[in-house]
Amino acid sequence: MAFLEKFMDMDRRWVYLLSWIFVLAPLLYPLGLPIPINQESIGWYNYIENIPAGSTVIFAPMYGTSGIPELFPMTVATMRHLWSRPIKVIVVTFWTEGALVFNILLGQVDPTSYGKVYGTDWIHLGYIPGSETAMASFARDITGTVSADFLRGQPTTSYPIMANIRTAPDIDLIISIETGTPGYTEWLRQWQAPYAVPMIVGLIGVSVPGIAPYIQSGQVSAYLPGLTSSAEYENLIHRPGLAVAGVDAVSMSHLMVVILVVLGNIAYFASRSSKGGKK
Amino acid sequence: MSNLLRRIEIPIFITIIFTLIQVIPYYVYIQPLDDAAAYIQRWILICLALATFVGVLSLLLTHGKNLQKRSKGWYFSAIVVVFTIVMSIVGLPLAEVGLGAANPIYLFLYNNMLQPLSGTMYAIIAFFIAAAAFRAFRARNVEASIVLLAGILMVCSNAPIFTVTWPPFKDIGTWIFAVPNMATNRAITIGAALGLVALAVRTLMGIERGYLRGGGAEQ
Repeated sequence: MAFLEKFMDMDRRWVYLLSWIFVLAPLLYPLGLPIPINQESIGWYNYIENIPAGSTVIFAPMYGTSGIPELFPMTVATMRHLWSRPIKVIVVTFWTEGALVFNILLGQVDPTSYGKVYGTDWIHLGYIPGSETAMASFARDITGTVSADFLRGQPTTSYPIMANIRTAPDIDLIISIETGTPGYTEWLRQWQAPYAVPMIVGLIGVSVPGIAPYIQSGQVSAYLPGLTSSAEYENLIHRPGLAVAGVDAVSMSHLMVVILVVLGNIAYFASRSSKGGKK
Repeated sequence: MSNLLRRIEIPIFITIIFTLIQVIPYYVYIQPLDDAAAYIQRWILICLALATFVGVLSLLLTHGKNLQKRSKGWYFSAIVVVFTIVMSIVGLPLAEVGLGAANPIYLFLYNNMLQPLSGTMYAIIAFFIAAAAFRAFRARNVEASIVLLAGILMVCSNAPIFTVTWPPFKDIGTWIFAVPNMATNRAITIGAALGLVALAVRTLMGIERGYLRGGGAEQ
């Protein structure tokens, strides 16, 4: 019983060490566990696959460097998928570091390899300060709110892609990859509800419970939750990448938590019964 | 004259006017009002952009004082001051002189320092969550047992190692997400929205004065 009590009161640093081992080991020695494809990633894939040709899509990386480990794989996979289709993409962000995160992507994925021309097929408008107010202003007057693009600093109206883009109704879809505020609730308030612009959202695991009412109401048309779904999506587009590489670590860390919780409860009940039911 | 300018009704009146200019076009399309709302939104954006510089100044003042007084942990303040100044200068949007987001120093600091440090800070949460789950997830009573069971099932539904071993884990996780989670989140969302409506109405009627200096009490 002394052992069980010791186990229950285990120093948290042992848990840290175990976490470290369970995450690091599969990254160094991949287990190659199968990744079943689930409804969320299929929904995301199908939505992008079925965007009508010629549509104009807003792609918003709404996160900073801290969100990169979990969200960057789905950002890369989604952009690969978008660029492989005859769709126009306007990249814009309302997060200070969002534009720089997208620049990292540009260092890894070359749009010209998909035959995409800057200014004609896609444009990078960069970061707009002002959070929800900026989103509202952007919806009312897109080229008025962002007078120059981020990559070249040229007037936005000088690019062919912006020729017929003035207000929110000119946009066919919003794709927001995000960690928090501003995020999907602000998009819903300023774009989806007043202008009926459809939106799909990729988000970190901890934000997932909050989006449930909007999925059920149909205001958010599809969502991609966390790294595991990113790995599924990478497999769906046949471009396994960072998420597939990291999903073994997700599995092992989750396994460790379950084992620890189960053992902790066994120890708790054993120690309680040894004390005659007293806590 | 100065007494007239100090009257509490003036800021309340300004708040009411500017709020209505933003709110009415959301529900009813009236061209002049819509244009006014868009115009005012651009004012706000300009103010917010300028506020960024105030933020930098405030940061430098706070940490500059720490540095001057050699307060506890002053060397951390020194790091903040040095990197704030360096990043601010090399990140200025003056591409003609080689500054801005494409500047090599800026990119080096961003890619090799900020990015790994931020990622590490975020990743550290995993250690805390694991330790907290081990200590807190105990079936001490019925309520704790329900939380424990739901938590474990959600963990199992999110990791391929479990869903491959026993596929119904995913269905159970989906049900928890789509039924009890959705219902509670909807209740919270609607409750918070009603609270916000009440706050907005109180503000518009001049009853809620917490946003004014001293809550308007000294007027």
